[in-house]
Order: sequence, then structure tokens, then C-alpha cells
Amino acid sequence: MSLPAALHLPFFQHAFVAILFAGVAFPLIGVFIVSLSLVPLRFAMMHIALLGGAVGLFLGLDPTLFALVFCAAASTALGPLSEKTKMGLGTLSGFFMTLTLALAFILFSRGKINVMEAFGILWGNILSLGVWDLVLAIGTSIFIIVVVFLLFKEIQAILYDREIALSVGLPERRIYYLIVFVLGITVAVSMRLIGALLVDALVLLPAIAAQMITRSLKQMFFLSSLFGLVSGLGGLFASLAVDIPASSAIILFASAIIAVCILSRRRFTSHANNP
Amino acid sequence: MHHSVELFDVHVSIEGSPVLRGVTIEAKPCEFVAIAGANGTGKTTLLKVTNGTLAPYSGRVIVLHEDLINHPNPNALRREIAFVPQKTNHHRFPLRVEEAVLMGRYGKIGIMRRPTREDRALAADAMRLTGILPFARKLVRELSGGEQQKVSLARALAQQASILLLDEPTTYLDAPSRSEIMETIHRIHHERELTTVMVSHEPEWVEQYADKVYLLKDGVALLTQ
Repeated sequence: MSLPAALHLPFFQHAFVAILFAGVAFPLIGVFIVSLSLVPLRFAMMHIALLGGAVGLFLGLDPTLFALVFCAAASTALGPLSEKTKMGLGTLSGFFMTLTLALAFILFSRGKINVMEAFGILWGNILSLGVWDLVLAIGTSIFIIVVVFLLFKEIQAILYDREIALSVGLPERRIYYLIVFVLGITVAVSMRLIGALLVDALVLLPAIAAQMITRSLKQMFFLSSLFGLVSGLGGLFASLAVDIPASSAIILFASAIIAVCILSRRRFTSHANNP
Repeated sequence: MHHSVELFDVHVSIEGSPVLRGVTIEAKPCEFVAIAGANGTGKTTLLKVTNGTLAPYSGRVIVLHEDLINHPNPNALRREIAFVPQKTNHHRFPLRVEEAVLMGRYGKIGIMRRPTREDRALAADAMRLTGILPFARKLVRELSGGEQQKVSLARALAQQASILLLDEPTTYLDAPSRSEIMETIHRIHHERELTTVMVSHEPEWVEQYADKVYLLKDGVALLTQ
């Protein structure tokens, strides 16, 4: 299919607009994940979404909606729960990851649910987005950008050192909980857009690439967004040009950007060592 | 006379093990108080209790005549307590020295507000006082341990608090730098009329600067000077 023809198709237009917003906003969350070492939380969200989907199917209701609600509820609760139980967020995420999976399988078994249908929640497809998916992607993206813009200095202090953020008199705990909440919501929405297994392409990989070559948090946010947008749109158009799955093409673009960043950093380091 | 800092019969346990077993210390306004003790005696814990980042399970913590433990807005009170930790957790985070020092102003600036020209001027002044102004554009992670310690001190000074808590501020410094930084701390303590509480594992080193020295041993604090 030619590009001009594709641009007239609603499904491609939806994907294009979703990537335009999510490509810019979602990698900002990747900066949180990278800086606060919250990768386990991203995996926990995937399993919590599966449980939500299983509950939805068990009750004969929309599994995607339930997956999103479960992720929203979990991301609201996990921050305070981690503080109350004095368990690190990583440990707590590991606990919930296995617990929710066990509960989901009980529901599959008891409700005679088609397991593949439940797992379908985890395989999103950027080329099959409805209008509500688009609204969700745009709304979440705007929310993320507003949070980062308004709370930049508070976020900067927390990503640098939570103890310092607290000791200078910032409401460190509330902002940290907000970060965890936004992260959970973003992962849930990303799953709907491109699938749980490919969330990292949109959220994490651009931030990893940016971290390698930046010298300030502002740069890191800006480059993460730029890399997210380039890999998102690049992957989308490449998938049309060479007829491969869009999500895989986005990952390939994001990985290529990381490779370029590694090479440019190595080159910079060797120049610095041998002036 | 009222005290700026008063800890009374403070007990703290960490993971079930008692660390502080009824510590009582007092610091009057403008007083320089040193707390000496061997490694692992709970000196850092004591400072964390004093700035309210760690809650004791019993005892009273009175800061600037207010009960820090039961305070309705501990963050507001914490803005008057500058804290210099022994080391920070910024292994790879990209942050310039000038940004790290400006962070001392963040609590006072207020949430969702941008730093003003005055905040930046106060941060620059703190960098000048601690001798790190030439490194202002460098990343904190690129500095030596001693220079990073000066960044922490500059951030605390930029906070313009009336109480200064120092957790072994000379740990990563060589002998000449230690004297230099202690002279700087001592001078600023007097110029700004601060109440300073410093912990150190070298009592003989802090005695010359302190008005009062407590020895922390077996979870209690004994006044020695």
C-alpha cells in the first residue's frame, strides 16, 4: 500500500495521531523508570492488567476496561503500600506479579475462560485503534506532559535523591506516589496501544537512549520524546513500506537509536581519553 | 533559654534492633553542637530524627519550639532545617552543580513554582562561599568525593535555614581540605547565626569547633564538653 493511500485510511490516521502524542509523552515516563529503577513495576502492571482482563471476562464485561481500571487502582495503591510495608517497590512488584497471575489462572479455570482471549489484552495493535483508544492515548499524553511541566523541579529532586527532596521540604512522598500512578496508567494505556510485550519500545527504550548522551534532566526529557517520536513514526511508516508488523518496526527503530547512542558515546569517550 | 533543637528520650529501632535508647540532646540558638561516636552508633539516625525524615517510636523532637513528630506540616518546618548528608545517591543522574545547589531553594520556592532571580543569586552566593563556583556547569557525578561534599554544603547554605545539620562533612576530604571546609562551616555558622549540629566519628577533630560535644555510645548521648 502506498503512503498517500494509507493516509486516507481511518485506521492509519488513528495510529498516526496516537503515535504523535504517545511518542512524545510516553518516553517521559521512561525517564522515571530509568532514573528510579522501576522496571519491575512495569512487569507487575502487565500481570495486573491480565488479572483485570480475566475478571472482566469472568463477569461478561469489557476486559480491556477492567484491565485499565485494575492498573489504575494498583498504581494508586502500590506507592503507599510500599511505604507502609517497608518493602521496596521492586520487591512489592514481584510479589504482585506472581499473586495476580495465580488469581488470573484461577479465574480462567473456574470461569472456563478462553485463555487466548484474556491474553489478547496483552497484544495490542497500533493499527486497530478505535476512537476511544485514541481519546485515551491523547488524554494520557496530555496528562503526562502537564505533570512533567508543572512539577519539573520536584520531579528533578526526587529522581536525583529522594532523601534530599524530603530534607529540603518538598512533599516528596506525595510526588513519588504521583510518579508511580502516572507510570502505571501509562503502562496500561501503552499495552492497549502496542501490546504489553512491546511497551518498552514506546516507554523505556527512548529514555535509555537519551540517558546515554544527556547532561541534564531537561535534555533527557527532550531527547526521550524526540527518540520516541522518531522511532514511533519511523516504525509506523516502515511497517507500511516493507509490510512488517508496526510494533516490531517501532522496536527496530528504537533499538537502532540506542545503537547510535552507544556508538556516539564510545566515540566521545575515546576522544576524551585521547585528545 | 529556649532551645532551637531539643531531642528528649528518643528511642529508634531499625529492623527490630534498637539504635537509639533514650537519647537527649539540646542545642541553643547559634550554638555549634558536635555529636561524636564510633561508626554504627546511630549518628546518622540521630540526624534523620532531628530533621524528621525518620520517626522515633518514642520520645520528643522539638525544633524551633515546635513538635516535629506531630507537626501538621512537617515539610514547612523542614525548610528551616538544612541537612548535609554523608553521601548522596546520584550515581548516574545528569545534574549540574548549579542545579544541585539550587535544589536547596526548592522547598521554599513552593510547589509548581519556578526559581526566581533571587533564588539563583542565593545559590550562586552559596557556591562562592564553598569555592565551587568554577564547577557550576559541571555534572555532580564528574566531581571528586570532596567536591561533591562541598556541593551538598552549598545546597544546605542556599536553603537559608536557621538550623544546619551536618553528617560527617569531611569524610571524603584530604587533610588541607578538611581544615578548609571546617573553617568555612565555622565562619558561616557565626556569620549567619546558625544553630549547627554536626556528627563525626573523630571527637578530637570536632572539639575545637564545637561549643558542646556529646558522645554517642550504646544508644545514649553523654555530654562531654
